[in-house]
Amino acid sequence: MFTYEGEDIFVIDGHIHLWDASEENIKTRGGKQFIDCFYDYHTGFTPEDKQWSFEEYEQYDVDRLTDDFFGNGIVDMGIFQPTHLKEFYHEGFNTFDRLTEVKDQYPERFIVNGRFDPREGEDGMAELERQKEEHDIRGVKVYTAEWKDDSKGWRLDSDDSFEFLQKCSDLGIKNVHAHKGPTIRPLNKDAFSVEDVDLAASSFPELNFVVEHVGLPRLDDFCWIAAQEPNVYGGLAVAAPLAVHRPQKFGEIMGELLFWLGEDRLLFGSDYALWNPDWLVETFLDSELTPEQEAEYGVDFGLETKKKILGENAAQLYGIDIDQKKRDLEVDAVSEEYDLSAMYSNSPGGAVADD
Amino acid sequence: MSGADTTPTAGGATPVTTTAIRTALDSVLDPELDESIVALGYIDEIVISRDEAGETGVNVRVSFTLPTAWCSPAFAWMMASDAKEAVEAFDAVSAAEIDLRDHMHETEINTGVNAGTPFADAFPDADGGLAAVRATLDHKARLARQYDAVEALLSVGLSPAQIISLTPDELERVEETAADAGDDRIHIFVDDAFGVAVDAEPIEAYLEMAREEGCLTGDDEPVFRMPEGDPIEESMFELLRRRTRSAKVNVNGQGTVCEALNESRREMLGRTEAD
Repeated sequence: MFTYEGEDIFVIDGHIHLWDASEENIKTRGGKQFIDCFYDYHTGFTPEDKQWSFEEYEQYDVDRLTDDFFGNGIVDMGIFQPTHLKEFYHEGFNTFDRLTEVKDQYPERFIVNGRFDPREGEDGMAELERQKEEHDIRGVKVYTAEWKDDSKGWRLDSDDSFEFLQKCSDLGIKNVHAHKGPTIRPLNKDAFSVEDVDLAASSFPELNFVVEHVGLPRLDDFCWIAAQEPNVYGGLAVAAPLAVHRPQKFGEIMGELLFWLGEDRLLFGSDYALWNPDWLVETFLDSELTPEQEAEYGVDFGLETKKKILGENAAQLYGIDIDQKKRDLEVDAVSEEYDLSAMYSNSPGGAVADD
Repeated sequence: MSGADTTPTAGGATPVTTTAIRTALDSVLDPELDESIVALGYIDEIVISRDEAGETGVNVRVSFTLPTAWCSPAFAWMMASDAKEAVEAFDAVSAAEIDLRDHMHETEINTGVNAGTPFADAFPDADGGLAAVRATLDHKARLARQYDAVEALLSVGLSPAQIISLTPDELERVEETAADAGDDRIHIFVDDAFGVAVDAEPIEAYLEMAREEGCLTGDDEPVFRMPEGDPIEESMFELLRRRTRSAKVNVNGQGTVCEALNESRREMLGRTEAD
């Protein structure tokens, strides 16, 4: 935790990964193209002096991750979102079981979400139960465009999907993170259309639906749905890094989101290792709307709003009491390893971020 | 316009040069970003060669690369086939060849588009057809363009009531001198009398897409529409303005993402843009 303009900022990075796209793990050409594309996103929106080499990017370990998150004390917690992609990678790309090992190592610091795919039928249902039972998951990541056998994707509002959402509800898995990113294959259909979120959200009001990447390039459809469904949230992964080189566009997108959803339904996410939170959080805090944008949207993007987006909203969804959590983090292994305890003690202020 | 009805600013009897081909390709849009594939920097190379078989004709090959290998095959197909059509619009072109590079489905797309076979043949397991995808994208582009057009009209002082009742009959295009071609104005007639002049570009861009989408057919109907195509009631004006604003921000935001990806990818691939 660090201090920005005199305020303690508790940061929960809502969207992170630990992936293996090494040559040995790549199964098909798709696996190579996938990591190449990620790297283009990385270099396109990362300040030059913060860019990773491609070799570093293909595969990194937990030590690199903890250094990046806690080395300068800017991030307090992270939420892992699994992405299996077993059609592309022999052992999967960023798998649930591997992520739980990191969580078991640093239990106070990480939350691991599970996953489901309704096309896996009864086996998938049993797997969801296992994830809950063994790791008490509170959320799931769903990837509606994933290929499986002859299927080129699935919809959140299908009958099969509803059975899984009902199971989530029964098991107390409250948060459904739906990846809705760029329009890619399958073929002509838009597998990341956000329309399926509408019926799912209204049918399961007890669940929260976090639309990752705020639906870009369907921001307009997403905002319209979210304005009507109070349990729909926006995950800022991919949107936040626009603040680096494209502040004007970033301001417009934030204006839209704050106008249609308000400040309580947006979650920060670095999409690590697409981008690094250690610099992205500060970029986000430094960003502001232009006076024209403020006038147009009539919204507030001040520090209180940013604090909600950076951590308080995620804490709400995941049942984290921030004050209690600070006391727990003060004495955990990470604080000891990175000498962060003082940041969490009650002394006024805390560490000051480097400028 | 998603390129299907290429504006005849090039083609026909125009001599075939790389500049003329680029001008023709300028009318081909990335359907998702509603922007020219030339302006977006997708074109790698334009090669004009003599047609060995023909007497006078030439062959033209256009190579292009998209911002990711993953770009929707449907969008890629539209751009490739629209580009082919734009090149073939020159009388002197005997054959046009499209060469999409580094795409996960480049073989299917290049083979299909160059042979002129339908999308459904290349991708037999695709759901539905390209027409539906194009219609959806045209609809979104229309909303974004409507935002720009309405903003232009508000900025010259028209009221919401005047804007929602405007018909194509009340618009008169005024050509500026050739040197100022970019400064063309449209005169708006209010109550049968000259009212105001406005920059022609956003209005014409909107009209083109509204006709393409099919929500605007006659010259005596309201120019601007609700998302579903109905005329606008004044009480809905502000909400609609905000919805069209989000469509505009979306297309701009995604354009920004693609622009950055395109730059990074071209650097990684060591590819430069065609002159």
